[in-house]
Amino acid sequence: MNGNGKPAVPRRDLSFEREPARRVFAAELRETRVHFKDGEDEKSPTYVLLPSGERCNRIFIVGTLTEKKKQGEQNLFYRARVVDPTGTFFIMAGSYQPEAMQQMARIEPPAFVAVVGKPTVYETPDGAVLISVRCESITVVDKDVRDCWILDAAAATLDRLDLPDGGADRERAKKEYSTDPALYRKMVYDALAQLRI
Amino acid sequence: MDFSETAERISLKITSKGHSVDTAGIEKKLRRLVDEFGVPAAEAERTVTNELMKEYDIPNPGALSGSGEQKSINELVPGEWVTIEGRIVALSSSPSPAISQTGIISDNTGAVRFVVWSKANAPVMSTGKWYHIESAVVDEYRGVANIKVHSGSTVKEVEKDGALIPAVTPIAELSVGVGSVRAKVLQEWDTTHDRMLQSGLLGDESGTIKFVLWKEEGKEKLVPGTVYNIFYALVDEYNGRHSLNLNTSTCIPEEGDIAVSSGDTTVEGALVHLAPGSGLIKRCPVEGCNRVLSRQNYCPVHEIQPKFNYDLRIKGWLDNGVKTWELLIQRENVELLTGMTLEQARELAENNPLGMDEVFLRVRETVLGRYLSCKGREIDQRILVSQCGFTHFDPTRLADLLNRAGGETA
Repeated sequence: MNGNGKPAVPRRDLSFEREPARRVFAAELRETRVHFKDGEDEKSPTYVLLPSGERCNRIFIVGTLTEKKKQGEQNLFYRARVVDPTGTFFIMAGSYQPEAMQQMARIEPPAFVAVVGKPTVYETPDGAVLISVRCESITVVDKDVRDCWILDAAAATLDRLDLPDGGADRERAKKEYSTDPALYRKMVYDALAQLRI
Repeated sequence: MDFSETAERISLKITSKGHSVDTAGIEKKLRRLVDEFGVPAAEAERTVTNELMKEYDIPNPGALSGSGEQKSINELVPGEWVTIEGRIVALSSSPSPAISQTGIISDNTGAVRFVVWSKANAPVMSTGKWYHIESAVVDEYRGVANIKVHSGSTVKEVEKDGALIPAVTPIAELSVGVGSVRAKVLQEWDTTHDRMLQSGLLGDESGTIKFVLWKEEGKEKLVPGTVYNIFYALVDEYNGRHSLNLNTSTCIPEEGDIAVSSGDTTVEGALVHLAPGSGLIKRCPVEGCNRVLSRQNYCPVHEIQPKFNYDLRIKGWLDNGVKTWELLIQRENVELLTGMTLEQARELAENNPLGMDEVFLRVRETVLGRYLSCKGREIDQRILVSQCGFTHFDPTRLADLLNRAGGETA
């Protein structure tokens, strides 16, 4: 209203943007091979490239914790398996994730769990590629949350498959994975179909 | 340095207008300015000349460093000397003896605050009349222009038809300075200060804004639920949020109603992180402070406060897989989500070896990794949650997704 050429008020610095946690089914994550760093800096975020064409630094999964194993002597850590309708996630929590490790220590399988974590790609000496999820947190939830997650992950996967062509990540995923979208569509359908029973 | 020549020159200027002056006194003033205050000689001459001309009421157009061209109010830029013509639309009580008048002057392009210094010896202006203000300075206060009327300015009343209709701005588009709105009084809040007459929330179709009205003679409270045309209020900003100070404004009630936008957004997603500082917290008991205390009951402002108040809250990140928001959930909703009252949380903390950590853990077990729907005000990426709840499995969504996934393979 006064319109007197007031200088723009400095805003709070918003350079920090939290990486959203992608929803991805085990069968898709299992196929993931490509990983890269965005930038040269030591603290630059690392990503894995999902076969459906989206980069991902963090994931949110809900499934059944079927097995957990304590490993290591000095550097204690947990390995565990979380199962969704399409397959198995391999998750771990070590001394760099003390909170997740303590949460994991309290949980007895089998249990529905919600996991927030960062996917990492490993290559074994004999050339096999493995992907596991380093937990930021793991909590026991109920079946309702698990069912919500299946809907959520289904919608997110379909959204990725339905993205229009174009974009560096998508093109790269096409080249690296030669994905057949119909297979992922079927995976989604089968996962949803399990909920109907 | 010799000042007698300069003093002579100045005194000649004055005597030529038929006044008598004390040349020795002029020399003394010059010497003082130059020797004692380090003013350059030319500037000292100008200063003393202006002072005398003012004293003897001699018109002195050339003496100022330009009286500034006449400008319309929406073109003012801080730092300029200007001449404006406008109507006084508001006068407020002077906050200090150094200020003789302060208020808002408006022309048909906009409105601006003005201050008249007592030293300016300007004529007293009254509301509703038009004035020609020559050689005023455009100053800046908190990033907003205002007009300073000083001893070098001249103020003259002018005859003009005073039909000025202020342009009303939607609340969401207000910027700091002076603004007019058409809004409904939505809420009336407890006053937090003795001098405050009323505070609360105003809303229109575009959003909501906090308002304040300070105690002052002739000021009356607004009636909640009524729509007002509010002309020339002051728009302030604090922490990135605007508020309206109504003391300068004219508030005219009207019969109509407004479908107010709550300004709220609703977001859904999973709570993927519960931040430290969630659960049971201690707050500073000093009135108006309410800051969170450290574990040692230390308030950053009021130091150790052993008689703190307990509170419950959740700070964390909500995430829908594409976007993230920082949530701030207050006690009432935390109690609803967790099923644990503040009283129960306090007992739990006091009777448990882990203390307040135990409450944090319990809250974490009930909310982390869950799907939530939250409604509230969004500021930057942060949501001050006013309403929230868990979201549950929705069979119609399942049917839609099955169609979507199966549609193209079939």
